[in-house]
Amino acid sequence: MNDRIISYIISEISIEPFDTIGLDEDLLGSGIVDSLGMMKLVLFLENEFIVKIPPEDMTVENFGNVQNISAYLSHKLD
Amino acid sequence: MIYNLAQLLERTAGRFPEKEAFTCLNDSLTYAELDQKANQLASYLVENGVRRGDRIGIFMNRCLDTAVAVYGILKSGGAFVALDSFLPVNRILMILEDCDIKHIVSTPSQSRKLKAISDAAPIIKSIIGLSNEFDTVTVSWASIFSRSLNSFSPPKILELDLASILYTSGSTGIPKGIMHSHHNILGLARLEAELHNSDEHDRIGNFAPLHFDQSLFGYFSGPLVGATTVIFPDSYVKLPASLSALVAKEKITLWFSVPLILLQVLEQGDIENKDFSALRLVRFGGEVFPVKQLRALMMKWPHVKFINSYGPSELFRCTYYVLKEPPKTDDPIPLGTVWGNTEYKILDEHDGEVAIGEPGELVVRTAILMMGYWNDIERTQKSFFKIKKATGYDHVYYRTGDMVRENTQKELFFLGRNDRQIKLRGYRIELDEIEAVLLTNNAVKAAAVIMMQKDADSRTLEAVVNLEDTMEYSTEDLIRYCKDRLPPYSVPERITILKDLPRTATGKIDRPQIIKSLETTSL
Repeated sequence: MNDRIISYIISEISIEPFDTIGLDEDLLGSGIVDSLGMMKLVLFLENEFIVKIPPEDMTVENFGNVQNISAYLSHKLD
Repeated sequence: MIYNLAQLLERTAGRFPEKEAFTCLNDSLTYAELDQKANQLASYLVENGVRRGDRIGIFMNRCLDTAVAVYGILKSGGAFVALDSFLPVNRILMILEDCDIKHIVSTPSQSRKLKAISDAAPIIKSIIGLSNEFDTVTVSWASIFSRSLNSFSPPKILELDLASILYTSGSTGIPKGIMHSHHNILGLARLEAELHNSDEHDRIGNFAPLHFDQSLFGYFSGPLVGATTVIFPDSYVKLPASLSALVAKEKITLWFSVPLILLQVLEQGDIENKDFSALRLVRFGGEVFPVKQLRALMMKWPHVKFINSYGPSELFRCTYYVLKEPPKTDDPIPLGTVWGNTEYKILDEHDGEVAIGEPGELVVRTAILMMGYWNDIERTQKSFFKIKKATGYDHVYYRTGDMVRENTQKELFFLGRNDRQIKLRGYRIELDEIEAVLLTNNAVKAAAVIMMQKDADSRTLEAVVNLEDTMEYSTEDLIRYCKDRLPPYSVPERITILKDLPRTATGKIDRPQIIKSLETTSL
């Protein structure tokens, strides 16, 4: 799951070309993804993993880094 | 009497030494700590050759040390240049070269991008806030904060001295640097404090990044009155549910942001379930707030006073409009009337004043007008409208480029632009600049950039280009080309390659025709 998320970020939404992204790297704080990119990422996750992500779930705890996104999705898919 | 921004902090540190000046999540600085740390940074900068008026870059995400960076640079006599960390490296290099930046203040989370910058910019002498080993000298925050201040003698600073350069997009493809003095920023801080009737009990929500002039409210008007400024990290600003939770938790009393952040909080912030009783004033500006959503938000927060404020970065802000109740109709909200120390005229295309109620360009004369554009006398002179009072004595107005009209209550209404500058998600964008950048690509023969409006809430940038016959180039390549040279918010969402661009009879690019054809091809 981590790999699918990272490869989407790198290929579709990252501001600069990156080789890889750390699991705990702050996606929004260190200039990897901007707010438009975050919206695209949420749409991608909804389609890719067939989940509904309500606005109140879009928090720093759930979407701050790749590790948190995976944990959130795993929890949703259970 | 205080007349510069170093004194602003020193006076408040004397009055409220133990009061929280800035906080960011679990970290905070009192006024005494901030003053001490700013002096330590200033002493390093002065020792390393910084002199009055020298430009120092700030390359940081939204964090507590931004406050130390700003005041430390100012206390050294230098002028801060806030660099948007989302800009592509090429564009940052352009700014570094344009205003000859030799030192950058930063933070470890930016080291990835700083490496690329320092490798490509040999003019950089030192980077403060990093401990990584680059070719450039790096100095950690820890070593700055352990400096002794015994031998530091603060430089003399006049209110006329340069305090900051704010870069904004310019229609030629080269960013414009707006110069502001200590006097201007202090004047802005005082006008804002008066507008909000703010004091040391206030807690200011700072949502804007440092390179956006809305942040000056939190960084200067807050410290002027001894208030606490709460810096919201980037991730919170971009995730509305977290943002609204933090606003409630921090008991924010004063809010100033672009409408977009308020819209997102209204729609995705889950605000019914949070306590905003501390919030007393919301000010918005930077672009038009859609009236329907503004009304909805005002109904949800009936205890809050709402103010619309307007002004270009060249003079920060000049008008405000207090909404006494939720708007009854969907008519646009006025820009309002001018605040203190400011006057205006509305001009026709021949620079004559229009009759009341007639549309025209707004020109503004104010005590906080920019010193000019950095290193660009021509563009500076072009932006001014002068009325000669006597030989050698002019009244100087700034040409805003905004078309307005005035009603009988002397309230101004925004009608549009007289050029091709647009506002998108709060960002100021020159469509001509995007075209100029596309045309720097050898493969591109002609280009037109257009803002498409699908409905009231969704506007996107699109480009159509005509390529040289011999060149093989994909739209992905072109988007990458733009991403490497333009701020992310200026990169077109879609680029369409056409054999020929539609032209008018006189040979000009026919933009209305392009909009029509794009409308039929979009989803």
